[in-house]
Amino acid sequence: MRLLLLLAPLLALWSCTQRRASDARALTVFCGSASKPAMEEIAAGFRKETGIVAELIFGGSGTLLAQMELAEKGEIYLPGSPDYIAIGERKGQLLPDADRIVSYLVPAIITPAGNPAGIKALEDLTRPGVRVGLGNPETVCLGLYAVELLERNQLLDAVLANVVTFGGSCSKTANLAAMEQIDAILGWRVFHHWNPQRMALVPIAPEKIPRISTIPISIPVHSRDPDLSKRFIDYVLSPAGQAVYQRYGYLTEREQALALAPGASIGGEYSLPVDYLDRVLVMPRGR
Amino acid sequence: MNRLFHSVTVGVTGLLAVGFLLLIAALAFELWRASGACAPDGREVFFAIKLSLATASVASVLAIAAALPVAYLLSRYHFPGKALLDTLLDLPIVLSPIALGALLLVFFRTPMGRMLDAWFGPFVFEVRGIVLAQFVVVVGLAIRLLKSTFDGIEPEYEHLARTLGCDRVQVFGKVLLPMAAPGIVAALLLVWGRAIGEFGATVMLAGATTLKTETLPVAIYLNFEAADISSAMMFIAILVTVSFAVLLLVRRLDVRAR
Repeated sequence: MRLLLLLAPLLALWSCTQRRASDARALTVFCGSASKPAMEEIAAGFRKETGIVAELIFGGSGTLLAQMELAEKGEIYLPGSPDYIAIGERKGQLLPDADRIVSYLVPAIITPAGNPAGIKALEDLTRPGVRVGLGNPETVCLGLYAVELLERNQLLDAVLANVVTFGGSCSKTANLAAMEQIDAILGWRVFHHWNPQRMALVPIAPEKIPRISTIPISIPVHSRDPDLSKRFIDYVLSPAGQAVYQRYGYLTEREQALALAPGASIGGEYSLPVDYLDRVLVMPRGR
Repeated sequence: MNRLFHSVTVGVTGLLAVGFLLLIAALAFELWRASGACAPDGREVFFAIKLSLATASVASVLAIAAALPVAYLLSRYHFPGKALLDTLLDLPIVLSPIALGALLLVFFRTPMGRMLDAWFGPFVFEVRGIVLAQFVVVVGLAIRLLKSTFDGIEPEYEHLARTLGCDRVQVFGKVLLPMAAPGIVAALLLVWGRAIGEFGATVMLAGATTLKTETLPVAIYLNFEAADISSAMMFIAILVTVSFAVLLLVRRLDVRAR
């Protein structure tokens, strides 16, 4: 017991003194955790090229925005969708008009690996007995895009009847498929690339996609060095940075994304149907 | 009636043990299924284990050290406002960790918080922040557990020691502490267990930065966020193994010490 009492503070002291060699110039990046693999590689490349350390803090886009606001810190904000840029700008937490597009997100049907329910098209999500997961349209824009897509294709009520759960974030929605809790989700194409061993991609017919989303990047108002922030953004958008995103399955070119959804608008706002909640509530569920 | 009582105690214990074993079996099955998938980076795993052990150990030792005098005061003295103080100190137990983390984050924006930053170095998004977050989450539990321990010891022993010429410090160190030792060890174990699994306050105050503030629970969270189920499961297995091994080791050391 005494040994433990002696060891514990020593261990901790060691840990607390384990500080990274911090460069004179460093920047803090608040990064949506879905971009973790790509951003870690990009940050390493940026450091190699400039000697500047980019410290990445990961989390859900909304939580990161709150942390940034409360801590009054951060040189870069990279959320998972453009609505957080709008919220950040509205709250005065981001420099106006500083946002740029890192990549494009195209809706797709994502199933557990092997597609056990044999989903081939949007209409299959209405089949009796198919268990569907959607992003919660009240908390994540993925859900809004899914509801709009279904409504535009007159499938909303029929699919809602098969919805067994709503994911609170993009990653939580993707995990529904990765953990085989449902037969299919409406997600982004890139989900499949996050974990191809556990998720399969079923493309949606291009003409049926009304809107595609983006992963944006912007500069917080508390940035200690906006020029450095801009330099980092330039690196992310450079061929080297974009190549990293492409390697992880992201669509970095507008044309690539529009080829998969030629009639789609990019970003913008969509409001839920006024009777959406009533439609969710009346739907039979519980299979 | 006696047989029924015995059956109930053994039966419920058995059911709970089997329940937990089934959870671990499910984890083992998932790991076996994912054995072909890529494993998390070894450096990241080693770092998360080291950081979790170190921060949980220091936070729980500090929490016990801080809780000892407070629990003694609450157990042995009556004073105006005691109920209010008692309730205030209970708050960290009932508040959700994410709320505590947010409060800490807000605190470090105040002049007092900035002063602490200047004295001890930055807490926000740093390893110090992990220790502080874990400390704040577990200190209420430590006080509650130690107060129960002190409440269970007759004050008569202390009075007797006083009549034999011991001063208050001697009474506390030579009479009360040895008698409370088993309770203190049990409290330390529980508090440590709570600290190593702490996530909400940690991620709020210290952030989730790979190879910097990446404790085991943060690593689990980050891997789930990237839909990397296999790596998340491996980190869960590591957390289960490390926690189980340390708790078992401390229990055995404690049994031997007695």
